[in-house]
Amino acid sequence: MISNTRKRYSPSLGLMTMLLCTIGVNSAADDTEWSGFSEAVTHYRDGPGLSKARVGFQLEGLKFIGDAGIFSNFSINGTLRLSYDGVYDLNDDEFGDEAGGPIILEGGLVNTPHGQGFVNGPVVAGALGLVNNAFADPAVLAMTNPNQGLRVLGDHLHPQAGGVGFGVPVRPCDTDSRGCLRDYMDADKDELAAPEIFSDRLDFIRELYIDGTIPLKSGQQIDVRLGKQQVVWGRTDLFRVLDVINPVDFSRNNIYDELEDIRIPMWILHTEYRMGSNEVFDDINLSMVWNFDKFRPSNLGQCGTPNAILDAGCFFRGMKNLWENGGTVSNFAAVPDGAGGTLPGLQTTDFGPNQIGIRNVDLPDWSLSNTQLGFKLEGVIQDFTFSLNALMFRSHLPSLRGSDFESVNAFTGESAVFDHLIAFDVAFPRVKLLGGSLDYYAQSIDTVFRMEAAYTSGEEFANTIQPRLFSESDVVRYVIGADRNFFMRAINKNRAFLLSMQVFGQHLLDHETQSAAFGTIGMPDWEENWIATALLKGWWMNDRLSPQLILAHDFRGEATTVEASMDWLISDNWQFIVKANVKLGDKQFQFDDCRTCNPWGPFTATPAHADPFQSGSVGLQGFEPLGRFRSGPIGMAQEEDEIQITVRYRF
Amino acid sequence: MKLSIYCAALAAICSTLTATSSLGDPGDVVDKSFYPYRDSVPTAEGLSVGMVIDQTNIASVKDSVDPAFAEYISNGWTTIKVGETTSFELHPNYVKATRDHMNNVKLGEQVGEITGSVAGRPFPQEPDLDDPRAGEKLAWNYKFGYNWGDNAAIYPFYWTYRNLETAKAERQIKFNFHFLNYTHRVNQEPTPAITPNPSNLFRAIYVQVLEPFDVKNTQLLIHRAEDDLQRDNSYLYLGFQRRVRRLATGQVTDSFLGSDLMIEDFEGYNGRTSDMEWKYLGTRNVLLPFYNHNEMTLDQETHSDDDGYQVIAFGGKGGCFPDITWQLRKVYEVEAIPVDKNHPVGKRVFFMDAQTFTIPRTNIYDRAGKLWKSFLIGQAHPDHHLPINKGTGVSIDDSFMMLDVQAGHCTTGQFKGQVDPSLNPTSLFTVQNMRATGK
Repeated sequence: MISNTRKRYSPSLGLMTMLLCTIGVNSAADDTEWSGFSEAVTHYRDGPGLSKARVGFQLEGLKFIGDAGIFSNFSINGTLRLSYDGVYDLNDDEFGDEAGGPIILEGGLVNTPHGQGFVNGPVVAGALGLVNNAFADPAVLAMTNPNQGLRVLGDHLHPQAGGVGFGVPVRPCDTDSRGCLRDYMDADKDELAAPEIFSDRLDFIRELYIDGTIPLKSGQQIDVRLGKQQVVWGRTDLFRVLDVINPVDFSRNNIYDELEDIRIPMWILHTEYRMGSNEVFDDINLSMVWNFDKFRPSNLGQCGTPNAILDAGCFFRGMKNLWENGGTVSNFAAVPDGAGGTLPGLQTTDFGPNQIGIRNVDLPDWSLSNTQLGFKLEGVIQDFTFSLNALMFRSHLPSLRGSDFESVNAFTGESAVFDHLIAFDVAFPRVKLLGGSLDYYAQSIDTVFRMEAAYTSGEEFANTIQPRLFSESDVVRYVIGADRNFFMRAINKNRAFLLSMQVFGQHLLDHETQSAAFGTIGMPDWEENWIATALLKGWWMNDRLSPQLILAHDFRGEATTVEASMDWLISDNWQFIVKANVKLGDKQFQFDDCRTCNPWGPFTATPAHADPFQSGSVGLQGFEPLGRFRSGPIGMAQEEDEIQITVRYRF
Repeated sequence: MKLSIYCAALAAICSTLTATSSLGDPGDVVDKSFYPYRDSVPTAEGLSVGMVIDQTNIASVKDSVDPAFAEYISNGWTTIKVGETTSFELHPNYVKATRDHMNNVKLGEQVGEITGSVAGRPFPQEPDLDDPRAGEKLAWNYKFGYNWGDNAAIYPFYWTYRNLETAKAERQIKFNFHFLNYTHRVNQEPTPAITPNPSNLFRAIYVQVLEPFDVKNTQLLIHRAEDDLQRDNSYLYLGFQRRVRRLATGQVTDSFLGSDLMIEDFEGYNGRTSDMEWKYLGTRNVLLPFYNHNEMTLDQETHSDDDGYQVIAFGGKGGCFPDITWQLRKVYEVEAIPVDKNHPVGKRVFFMDAQTFTIPRTNIYDRAGKLWKSFLIGQAHPDHHLPINKGTGVSIDDSFMMLDVQAGHCTTGQFKGQVDPSLNPTSLFTVQNMRATGK
């Protein structure tokens, strides 16, 4: 079991208190505003049933102080958020303490239960005479990694189909600590159900910042905002290109909640030099963002929870479990038949601990060099608004770096560093981003165009060609959006409909693939891909009734999401929202799964390896684990059709 | 007298001389334009100060009431209390600017083109029914009017959405509205223009929503160029998205935040002069909602503050009608037909107040020619309003009603208008301010 150390991370809070004292805030003449809401959110998913039963409360406060020291318009702003999701109790056999069960893994000759692989320590010792081998003994596995509380990785999306599969623990980490990644994906049930209350990072304080303006004699201004906050760059909906300062909590509702609700606020100093107009620009501003908070990755959702984007949480948890406890992997080892050939198919294989899987998560500690710094020049010139952006940050998404550490050769029991071994540490690489954005109103077609582009260096991607199974690639991402309001008078005389369309492009400039004996090897991510979105929204009853339709289509992933919703403002206080979120398409992708990477030659060599001692993949394919990078977030959620209902009371 | 004798014989020359005489004496023209009630106030048969026009007597004074309002009174939806006609004198600097520049102002070849208008009322001359561009000139007088002075704020501004039939107040939105003239400034330094102004903006309007929660922090910024042929640049900040969206200007004919107003309706008319074909229909004496705020019935509930200021109360059918007094005033009736044949409005009929060139009454017709909406903007005298407004020479927009007679729905507006430059720094009217002000 992982013990949860709930360190309260509050030096930033202390810093802000100190600053408040320093600038001599006088609250006597203040104005204070309070607002907020409470809500009940229920999601019902086709198949598993109830997938969210959240009640929540949010309180927003603004204390306007006015002049304070060198500041004018000084204010203190805060947002508190509490929530409790009852799904872990109400549907505990899907998402709680009773989730999962025993599993069967596929093999060429025979399917075997988890922990009883066809190939295991005693078998290898007997059949091959490798008495020092480190394959797992089923009797030991039964104790250290029992066949309970498991699901087969990706079983909700595809069969094992001759590919790699292994068990992933799905219960909260206080019930089952197997595969829990310390400080990354190790939430117990309380933390899953009430993430703000039981957070290690004071998440019930969603935002808390001071805000003020320093007026300059020239008439220009310096705006300062310090505290826990969201800083929004960019002009896009649903997907992010420049809006990458705050990590995102995808565990809340995948990509489908407003970014406002799922950005994870960080302790940030945001200053803005507002130069105003000059002979060229109608408005020009230079801003600096210093995210001095301790690094925090995006929340991808823990395995066993309703929203685990890309199913990454399950892949990670299963891999971590394999490293820590060993376990059974389907369709893995080729077994000699004793007559110079091999038995048909690849057999379930029991690996021992410290052989394959995920060893560690390298979450960057706080240090000055691990803070994030960004600059933005933003302005208005004639009919254009634009920004130029630069940011140095840590990727909020994990990278799996193949072993530069010792692991155990299952055949010999020796410890060494092995190339092309599927043993990883999780890292969050440093990334440099340069980008810009622009919007323009085209009068002739009464349409607003939005453009945003970013060039990043330092991002890392899985790559089965490389000895450490990853490589860097520079990436170009962009979005082109068009917004147009139009009337359909026959059905709505007074109110125009909004049609908003976007196309996102992503190009990996250092993409690498090769053909090998059994298929393509290299980087599973598409070298270039596009996702298109469309939003159609209408308003009736003086904007109190608003239907909306959202489409998102991943062109290479061949997956589509359709979300239809109706938002009814019953009164200024009560709001009712119902949504149907449906995914279309059933495409799943296979890619080199590195079963044929030959890390432990000659034992793992295939006939396609010219040199049985030379590691490197020859490209045997399976759905898991890398097909997910081709399916993308839409394709990987194709079994998550939901009806979602929200009732909200605002005050 | 001599002139008129010669005229009998030399009619053509006389006509020219009369016109020249008018142009040659701008002081007289300007005085007539800005001080129409100096010598006398309008009167109408059957109409007297203090009377209440209702269902029983509307027929006898129908000519003094615009047709839509006359119908509302006939229906028993509301009444009109007749007040004394008073002079709403605009700031002397605006009058002086008119004198200084009026002789240089010329219309261009096409509607929307004007030259020589630096500040002040561009065309103070009396409109002429024989002048095919008289309506357009009046539109320019409105556009470059002293409507909110060089800048002002409605701070705060309550909009209530009401059902005409049930009187249910369905929704109330609390705003702040800010106005700033970049050019045509006459009173607050710098005059006549703020520089630098690289896009040659004429005016900006900045709107911030304060309540309710679902639209809180929504902000709207409109930049209007001096060049009337150029479309506005409009930006919308959505609080729940925390980012600025550029607005397609076509959205100015869209219902604003679900109200009965479109952005084009703001202040009476908020579009381009070149968006309409203008026609001057005549000069009449008509009852308009002009009053002294401090003497009106005030709403005790909607707003209260340390100033003790309270907003105008509403009543009548559906609670759609402001409880105010009206004045019989000199009015230019102007028709505006949208150039864009896809425009939802068939025509607007404006009742422009001749003295202030505000538009206190507008009747809006759909493309089938049926009355669609009726807009009323109550004008309060600045000397009988907040102390800060005293002596500003601004006719204060103080209450409004936009009644959608086809939908049976109205939006009412209650103002705290403040002519206070400190509320309207140029930094407020920038896209960046929207981001900074938003969360």
